[in-house]
Amino acid sequence: MFRVLALLWIGLAGLPLPGRELPPNVPPPEAVSFHMPAVQQLPNGLRVVLVERHDAQIVRLYAIVQIGAEADPPGLPGTATMVAGLLPEGASHRSAYQIAQAVDQAGGSIDTGAGWDQSYANVSVLSNHAALAFDLLADLLVRPAFAPDEVERIRRQTLSALDVVDRDPSYVADMVMRRLLFAGTDYAHSEDGTRSSVERITRKDLVDFHERYYVPSRTILAVVGDITAPECLRLASRFLGGWKNGPALAPEPRSQPSAPRGRQVIVVNKPDAVQTEIRVANLGVARSSPDYFALAIANQVLGGPAANRLFDDLRTRHGLVYGASTNLDCYASLGAWVAKTSTRSSETIKATEMVLAQIARMRDAPVQRWELKNARDYLVGNEALQFESASQVANQVLEMMLYHLPHDYWNRFPQQVRSLTADDVLATTRKYLNPEDDVIVLVGNAAAFKDGLKKLGPVRVVPIADVGRAFPEPEKGTADRPSPAK
Amino acid sequence: MGTARSGDRGRLRICSIRVRILGALILLAVLAPRLSAAGIKLPPLKIQTLQLPNGLRAVMVNRGEAPVITLEVWYHVGSRNEVPGKTGMAHFLEHLMFDGTKTLGRHFSDYIVRVGGIDNAYTTTDATVYWETMPASNLPVALWLEADRMRNLDISQATLDNERSVVEEERRRRYGNPPYGTVIPTLYEHAFTVSPYRHLPIGSVDDVTRATVSEIQDFYNTYYVPNNATIVIAGNFSVDEAEKYIRKYFAAIPAGPLPAARPIPLEPPQTAERTVTMTRDVALPAFVEAYHIPADGTADSYPLRLASRILSGGDSGMIYHQLVYEKQLALEAQSSADFSEDPNLFFVFAVMNSGHTLAEGEAAVDALLKRLQEKPLAAKELQKARDQVLFDLASDREKSKDLAEQLGYDTVVLNNPELINTEAERFLAVTGEEVQAAARKYFAPRNRTLLEVHPRENGPVTTALSEGGR
Repeated sequence: MFRVLALLWIGLAGLPLPGRELPPNVPPPEAVSFHMPAVQQLPNGLRVVLVERHDAQIVRLYAIVQIGAEADPPGLPGTATMVAGLLPEGASHRSAYQIAQAVDQAGGSIDTGAGWDQSYANVSVLSNHAALAFDLLADLLVRPAFAPDEVERIRRQTLSALDVVDRDPSYVADMVMRRLLFAGTDYAHSEDGTRSSVERITRKDLVDFHERYYVPSRTILAVVGDITAPECLRLASRFLGGWKNGPALAPEPRSQPSAPRGRQVIVVNKPDAVQTEIRVANLGVARSSPDYFALAIANQVLGGPAANRLFDDLRTRHGLVYGASTNLDCYASLGAWVAKTSTRSSETIKATEMVLAQIARMRDAPVQRWELKNARDYLVGNEALQFESASQVANQVLEMMLYHLPHDYWNRFPQQVRSLTADDVLATTRKYLNPEDDVIVLVGNAAAFKDGLKKLGPVRVVPIADVGRAFPEPEKGTADRPSPAK
Repeated sequence: MGTARSGDRGRLRICSIRVRILGALILLAVLAPRLSAAGIKLPPLKIQTLQLPNGLRAVMVNRGEAPVITLEVWYHVGSRNEVPGKTGMAHFLEHLMFDGTKTLGRHFSDYIVRVGGIDNAYTTTDATVYWETMPASNLPVALWLEADRMRNLDISQATLDNERSVVEEERRRRYGNPPYGTVIPTLYEHAFTVSPYRHLPIGSVDDVTRATVSEIQDFYNTYYVPNNATIVIAGNFSVDEAEKYIRKYFAAIPAGPLPAARPIPLEPPQTAERTVTMTRDVALPAFVEAYHIPADGTADSYPLRLASRILSGGDSGMIYHQLVYEKQLALEAQSSADFSEDPNLFFVFAVMNSGHTLAEGEAAVDALLKRLQEKPLAAKELQKARDQVLFDLASDREKSKDLAEQLGYDTVVLNNPELINTEAERFLAVTGEEVQAAARKYFAPRNRTLLEVHPRENGPVTTALSEGGR
């Protein structure tokens, strides 16, 4: 009975109170028409895309190299991140301090890092320093020195940083979830590495990784802002045209998650925590999957930006949490669908059960008509916001190229989303949300909620200090990474 | 500090641990300063203002190519206006502003979301700000909604009780669980003795627990009136159309009797250094040195902003370069000037590397501050600081939300909507000697609160204050 009433209440929630003054009617926003900027390819294979805009006196370079932490050598998680971290720390003819001085003097900044499927190097400057930006980018990408002193310095920094985040419940929850959900794949480790792996990575590992993967044919450069096309191409050719490709690599096997393993429930015990970090994760889809659109709608209803079932239930109706959301994390060959929230220790079980109930509801019945409409309208209307600034346009273009999405992807997006019915969404949701095979991670003060834990299934409790030992670095899912074809 | 919802769709998102660690310490939004410098001149923005007879102000800039706008409503009330025993009220009300009106029920966000927009709010010491970024065609709807909740808010005991729990979760999330989460609240509590800046906008648990419907309703009735509100619109829209709808929806809302400028206690000059020592469950020791600084917009605020850049602008800034790079004492080290309507704090903080002591870090920072005070500043250093500020100013023009933030702050907190077009000149006029003079005036031990965080090891969690030096 309660369930029926709850559904009725939610059904009505889409309507304003009757008989009152209402906001004005306005025409729906016009669909965004996206024009893919021309992609120029230099003779060495480097692809260059310009998003020209002269309304701010800034030039930004966003370079992505199509390789990320999934390529960390076996047993050495953190390699891709450390390589990226060392890019600004000295080049053949500029020291780390000279690089920092140069970009700071141009008013700008440098940012580098490695994620999944990609590493990146960004340089931003006031537009009268555009040539310097390209020169510095070449320092970072083409000729980083990996000087032994700098390697040791970054190693120490990383170890200290890991000491700090190893006590951060939110970080630990994400890390443990990834380890279990992606077990057996190249995506199961922490991209930051572990104490043990960071201690073991040698300068040679870093240089090898850079030589093998940081090549122009793997790199896409988006140039944004106050610069003309001829100037952009001239500077790209001048500073990056001489960048050489190494030997071609055999195509890498795509990581695929293993067969179902049954529900896994892990509690990481941190007795002084005042809040429990909660994650409920299922496998999702690759970014280019045709199921992406239906899952985007389902995700929007369950825990997407703005109004959603988790937020409404856990926060608005029950005051249990500050935030509650679900994310679709989509990579080249696989993905995750993760519910995230945090609540006071005493309500851990209740909040977790509510998340699980909302996930079950997504599987049990089609989304309501108004929910479907709201989700579609949000996804379509939000496109305009995703293309507001030149930097956003550039990042969308990079994502399209990274994941091989068609050039008319965004122009077809509204139609793709609008063509899906509630039944389509349900069928796709059932493919991916699976209570028998999900991963539940709770990081908090276990004493405060241990009594209710058995409701969730067999539970493994691990003290936070033992997380590293309890979840050792996985062996690589794919046997051996292919060596360069000679 | 508003409603936390999930992240953006389809972005390339990368989380670095450096950002994560900084996030734990930098809790206060420091609004970027602005200026113009050699070689680059920012074109002036056409800022259009409007004031209705009921006192409502509007500040608008039509700019940008994408059909997107940001609408903000700034209420000139923040934790600064709260009195002891009733802290956290402005922020609590901010939460309740999403819980429904007598007219529409709880549907504010639905009307933003259904066109793909996003909405949220935050509360600072000086202001409470509600914002929507959305397709431009939705502007009339959002103006209607904001006018509706300016006068028709429905505060019930049930929503109050619910939001109280939510606020407590927000407190745990921001200050309870993160490793260095308690540092900033503790610092402010001890650096100030009478200023309302002693407490953060989230307020004290006890005060939030005690707040009643009628108290919050009074607070709303007092401060959420057109003569205490400013509408900011930035993006690609018609100013004439916007003006028409502002008049249509807001003109009928009566002005309120704002409290006769209640004197807000100003902090007396500090006369001796204070030291606060905490032990917490953290892996690495950390410290913050906080110095009292004058209010934003005062003459000294300009050289102090440049000083902050010289100390901490980029990896070549003095503090990062010395502590993190050269001496490798610290995992992270920065300075930051938290300017606001009343005098606030300039702070330098560092998280030490394993094997290095707080004393080493503090000595290194002191040596750098001394160098800034005593050694004449190279022209190149000053120029670098100016160019960095100019870059931030140019950056603020790239997105409607950033531009609206700047316009709102200039108008409401600094009472100067045109500042974005004129402030550059004030920065350019600052000399190296003035930067040094400001450093000498403010970076003095007796003006300082030092907060040290020591790893707890297996001992208890403690906090202790001592006055009069280390």
